[in-house]
Amino acid sequence: MQSILKKKILIVEDEQHIAEGLKLNISLQGHDAMIADNGTSAIRLWREWNPDLIVLDIMLPGIDGLSVLQNIRLEDEQIPILILSAKTTIDDKVKGLSYGVDDYMTKPFELEEFLLRIDRMLKRVSLYKQSTQPEKTNGFSVPAIYEFGNNKIDFQRSIAFCKGSEITLTEQEIKLLKLFIVNKGKPLPRKKLLEIGWGYTGITSTRTIDNFIVRLRKYFEENPKQPVYFKSLRSVGYVFDHR
Amino acid sequence: MNQSKWIFHPIFIFILSILALGLSLFLYIYWYVEASQGLNNLIEKFKLDPDQVLASQTWVVIMVLSILVGIILLGILLIFIYHQKTYQLYRLQNNFINNFTHELKTPVTSIKLYLETFLKYELANDERQKYIRYMLIDVSRLSENINSILNIAKLESKSYKGEFIESELVYVTQKFCENNKHLFQNCKIHIHNQLEEPVLYFIDLSLFEMLLMNFLTNAIKYNDSETPTIEIDFKKTKKFLEIHLSDNGIGLEKKDIKKIFKKFYQVGNPENISAKGSGIGLNLAQNIVKIHKGKISATSQGKGKGTTFIVSLPHQK
Repeated sequence: MQSILKKKILIVEDEQHIAEGLKLNISLQGHDAMIADNGTSAIRLWREWNPDLIVLDIMLPGIDGLSVLQNIRLEDEQIPILILSAKTTIDDKVKGLSYGVDDYMTKPFELEEFLLRIDRMLKRVSLYKQSTQPEKTNGFSVPAIYEFGNNKIDFQRSIAFCKGSEITLTEQEIKLLKLFIVNKGKPLPRKKLLEIGWGYTGITSTRTIDNFIVRLRKYFEENPKQPVYFKSLRSVGYVFDHR
Repeated sequence: MNQSKWIFHPIFIFILSILALGLSLFLYIYWYVEASQGLNNLIEKFKLDPDQVLASQTWVVIMVLSILVGIILLGILLIFIYHQKTYQLYRLQNNFINNFTHELKTPVTSIKLYLETFLKYELANDERQKYIRYMLIDVSRLSENINSILNIAKLESKSYKGEFIESELVYVTQKFCENNKHLFQNCKIHIHNQLEEPVLYFIDLSLFEMLLMNFLTNAIKYNDSETPTIEIDFKKTKKFLEIHLSDNGIGLEKKDIKKIFKKFYQVGNPENISAKGSGIGLNLAQNIVKIHKGKISATSQGKGKGTTFIVSLPHQK
């Protein structure tokens, strides 16, 4: 055990026994662990507690693990995340990996393997942090400057140039724009937008989304009444696309 | 790929074959009428003996053709319905396999995790006790899952008769809750008996307990309240003994109430991966009640307003 440094690990798992077993082992390894038993509290703890690593289950009540993953990846590309799921098909794995998970283990798992993988992930992050200055990461692989039509978004400075003027974007606007850009051409249901963009479950009104889209259209569309980029899909949600 | 898929969609094929059949019926009749017209003309032209039989045959032919086409249509319809049913069953079954493997894997994962932890570390005695208790709960969860899948097959076979013993149902229920206390921590179960005389019925004890287990675990599993509460009432009506089991859980929507007793059916979107459970519990419950010649039903005020299950057993004396 070379890494005496105490790390913070967030366990997102709704099965109490498994969660406690994981916490026990992580504590015995000399790290700190906290348990989130649903998606909403996972996102909240990630923000407030600022963990160094996340162990994530996919099947969760409320917001599922994959939405939690996407929500986090919109803001933080670096934090190592390991999925620990009973879903074993290659499709599930590919889905998880494509959303930006670092490692995928299936249940039931070997304890030793799990601990070694976690150890390795933590070590890699600390090595990486030593060699580079910690800087504000961009989240998902979105270019620092993104252009579509006559619009230009500068993600580093949170500024948009559109219709000849300069607009300062809020954090939420940046997040939603990234979500749209990453999913360019793919329809995004309102529910998913709420879950990933805001970390809400479906109970909250989807009106929030509609109001937000109105704002984005006002910024970026030539004619907000006849949108070209942020299009509505009847009874589905929205799709962002451009040539 | 996706764009050409609709050609193979069963509904499309179904409509297409109906159209083809309708068109062919029309053409048969049309051509037949044309041909007989031509024949008539020919007869007149050559001043042959007008054949009376031919004229009267026209309608017979049309009728026979129509009946035949009708039978074919019926056949297509039946095949279509069967196909839809099979497909639905296939989807439900797929759903079931996914959910059920999850239900099996979760306790196995937990047990394995603790056993490996015990091998790796020397834990303090009280800690060890606590985790051994966890493992025991997981083992009972696992055996329950295995039992329910074995039982559903057993109950479905017509030859199964059950072993009926006369029992006092209120006592059986109380005893059951006591024996399984460890499963119902953090929740309240109240048993009310409005009947003065003892509730003696011939029941299959192990099946009855399974029935209770299903209802109680459902009431806790599908519950967002801080303390899940279950009220069990015993009532008598003219024909039945009714057992009402009310919870303060997530409730049911109207459209789901009838479907929940179907095998493998689960409330909610099949894509919704957070759905837990195997979808056989209530089907099993229904089968158990059927074996006791009783009826089962559910009522709910709607989402978030709890559910009441009513088991009605016919009076036996």
